[in-house]
Amino acid sequence: MSFAATALQIAGVFLAPLLPGCIQTCKARLQGRRGTSPLQPYRMLARLWGKSSVDPEGTGLAYRAAPALVAACMLAAIAIVPVAGRAGALGLGSDALVLVGVLAIPRFALAAASWDSGSGFALMASARDLMIAVFAEALLVLSILLAALPAHSTALPAMSAAASGAQVWSGPAHWCGALAFALVLLVETGRQPIDNPDTHLELTMVHEGPLLEYAGRDLAMLVWAAAARHWVFIVLAADLYLPHAGGFPAATAWLIAGAAAVCVALALVETAQAKMRILQVPALLGAGCAIALSGAGLWIAGIGG
Amino acid sequence: MSALAWVSLAGIAAIGGGCALAAAPGRLRAGLTLQACGAALLGVAGLLILVRGEQVGAHFTSTVGLAFGIDPLSGLFLTVLAITALPTLTFARDHLHGRPHAAGLAALTGLFLLSLAGVITARDVIGFLACWELMTLIPAAAILLSGRDRKVRSAVYSYVAITHLGGAGVWIAMLVLAQHGAIGDPSALAAAGTGVQTLVAVTALIGFGTKAGLVPLHSWLPRAHPVAPAHLSALMSGLMVKVALYGLIRVEFQWLGATPRWLGLTMLALGLLSALGGILWAVVQRQLKQLLAYSTIENTGIITLGLGASLLFAHAGDTTWAAIAFGAALFHVANHAIFKTLLFLGAGAIERAAGSLDLDELGGLLRRMPWTGGAMLIGSMAIAGLPPLSGFASEWLVLQSLLHVAFSSPLGVGLAAATAAAALAATAALALLCFAKVAGMALLGQPRRPECAAAEDPPAGMRGAMASLALMCGLLGLAPGLVLPTLAGLAPGGAPALARHAGLFIPGTGSYPAPAVAVAILSLTCLLSAARGRRRAAPSPVWACGQPAGEDLRWTSAGFAKPVQLVLDAVLRPHREVAVERSGGLVQGVVYTGEVPSLLAGALYEPTVRGGLRVAARARRLQSGNVRTYAAYLLVLVLSLLALVHWGALG
Repeated sequence: MSFAATALQIAGVFLAPLLPGCIQTCKARLQGRRGTSPLQPYRMLARLWGKSSVDPEGTGLAYRAAPALVAACMLAAIAIVPVAGRAGALGLGSDALVLVGVLAIPRFALAAASWDSGSGFALMASARDLMIAVFAEALLVLSILLAALPAHSTALPAMSAAASGAQVWSGPAHWCGALAFALVLLVETGRQPIDNPDTHLELTMVHEGPLLEYAGRDLAMLVWAAAARHWVFIVLAADLYLPHAGGFPAATAWLIAGAAAVCVALALVETAQAKMRILQVPALLGAGCAIALSGAGLWIAGIGG
Repeated sequence: MSALAWVSLAGIAAIGGGCALAAAPGRLRAGLTLQACGAALLGVAGLLILVRGEQVGAHFTSTVGLAFGIDPLSGLFLTVLAITALPTLTFARDHLHGRPHAAGLAALTGLFLLSLAGVITARDVIGFLACWELMTLIPAAAILLSGRDRKVRSAVYSYVAITHLGGAGVWIAMLVLAQHGAIGDPSALAAAGTGVQTLVAVTALIGFGTKAGLVPLHSWLPRAHPVAPAHLSALMSGLMVKVALYGLIRVEFQWLGATPRWLGLTMLALGLLSALGGILWAVVQRQLKQLLAYSTIENTGIITLGLGASLLFAHAGDTTWAAIAFGAALFHVANHAIFKTLLFLGAGAIERAAGSLDLDELGGLLRRMPWTGGAMLIGSMAIAGLPPLSGFASEWLVLQSLLHVAFSSPLGVGLAAATAAAALAATAALALLCFAKVAGMALLGQPRRPECAAAEDPPAGMRGAMASLALMCGLLGLAPGLVLPTLAGLAPGGAPALARHAGLFIPGTGSYPAPAVAVAILSLTCLLSAARGRRRAAPSPVWACGQPAGEDLRWTSAGFAKPVQLVLDAVLRPHREVAVERSGGLVQGVVYTGEVPSLLAGALYEPTVRGGLRVAARARRLQSGNVRTYAAYLLVLVLSLLALVHWGALG
């Protein structure tokens, strides 16, 4: 079983680009366009891998090491998140808060790279990204807390087991957690209404900004890392906040269904919702925090389920 | 006397001798070296006592008469003293050389260390309070010796005034404890009743909290720490604040004889306020040392959150998690001492090389000063709480403790813990922003002034001091699981059964295998860098919509913090002034000034000062200068005393 779980985690490295590909295809269909194939991200990665990298004048180690460090951290994150609720045997543990820490490194690396290149657009975007992260990280920890309350543990497999079945949905706490996590998912995958992954207008970019100067294999690693972020958070959503069964094969089937549902939902949100003003994002996330806190209060008071 | 007692006495003697030697003309380096040897001896003794769980010298006593001794908790703080003082003194050997008043500063540094060691090892109330006062006054003298302009004098005045106002709390708490014979004996205060316990708990919280820089008692800290010379700032932020926390731990955890829930909740609230407030104001600073001082408040807050969680666990009877939370707080004490010392020393090296501490006037120092820059980069990443460095391990433990409080508590406590956990997560994200700014502005990119382009690494001693501290950030981050059981064993409720691995494998968590995470991230980064190869196209200028990215397009400290400042406008309340110069209908220039007033600067102390002045004005009316009035005062006093004796009110 552990072997299968590990194999699925490793498969995540290769399957991750499929998720943004599916979302893009789905979005195009919803908007009445034919759109690209879901495999388009793979083609893009292959194309980028064959091109030369470009270092802007005057950049140093921080700029050059950032893409590799970002991709390495996303690989570590994939190894921490259990697929379908089963911990793999990759030896990095399966703690939800360690995952939060590992996911913070790419933000620091990209902010440092932005300072190193001195590009105004990159710095503007990473300053915004770090500002949003202040609220997003609080929300993420609260939604982890809500999933950890029934399990009395922050081990992701235990949290996933406690969230399986239909019983948890009978009280309001899990619903609050699911709502909070949905907001986290929007932020962390850089989707509308918080960020627009399709924009290449410099003034509105958040996640795309620090990538502006990169090219070739550097850019390929960063594009893959963005896809890996989708994988990590969609698998996490399936583990914690999407309906799933306890058994491993059944949970895998639920994972596939859940991932598809999340992709469609993200495409729907992107189609229906315009990007919101950047200064309104904290209000949205703050509302999420309030919901999550009241969920936690309801659970602790014993009304949670 | 045991061998360890002799070692510690030799350490004290060496520091004392070092003071005298440093004060002699031309013996600065020798004196500081002797002090460093003394600190090392103290550290060795402290570490051995901590690891073996021994007790050396006197036990705690409530009687009057000097007594000194070391138990494992004192041993831990002596170890922290040594790991902070050793690099600092090594740094000071080159840093002070050739400066005005170097001999005096070096001697005062040694005396400061002696007073800190005195607070840690005092076993009676007189010795404790004497060393406590010296610990407050010596840095004030040293700061005045190094600079006497108006700003410095005002900072020192507010430092001494506020810490003495708050310090009254320490006096009250210690004297009440001694009166009930409760120093070192929790049962005595428990017998004295909840009224006395509450009095001691509150006064100790105010007294030690002021010195530790807890919001809202903190306002001296961001003023006093930056004006001191670099090595003293390092000792004040890295060590003195920790010694205040040592006093807090002694009183609230060991001598109070009870673990009331309100105390745990109060510490949680103070910790939350300090952590969030400290880091939020650190983000908007542009002067490096001021920023670091605010971040000290943040870290005191994180430690206090851990201590509060430990008290709540102890109240609920969960000794295992009470010990883990206590160990987490102590671990963060050690970690913060290390990286804050590193960052202050780095700031000293930068000021020396580039002639400025204004982040908007630095830049590109990593390339010019690889040792200083590299060490500061590691320190910044550690304090920002990035795995696998040391800061993450202790913050992870504190956050785990808060979540576990929420798992098994009644509604109010659970909600408080959940709020604190969310606030700690936000604090960590703000710390990342703050130190990405520090690293980015000071170390990366292009130099913003010619002095930065010509900056050079300091001499070997200063380089070694910073490199050893950076190495310790890495080592403690790699093996948190070896340290935690020892620290958790110091908890008053007894030691939990924790396995000793390098990583942290604690039931109820998904475990943090620190070495594996470090190896995975580093090796994958190297592999991917190798896969990326060296093939690259010709360098190109940075994209700035087609125009050359010159100096006027350079990003500033205020610009990077702007999104946070805009979003939290209501909390930060920044002042802005925009002056537009026009002549003949044409705009000639625009001058923008903006600043964020310091955190709760006047909220607590200004009313106190105003009230004090008003009372003083009233009191002056009593001083008429008329002899007959004074004779009348005396008569009234004598009569009222006689009346009191008559009614038996004086016993």
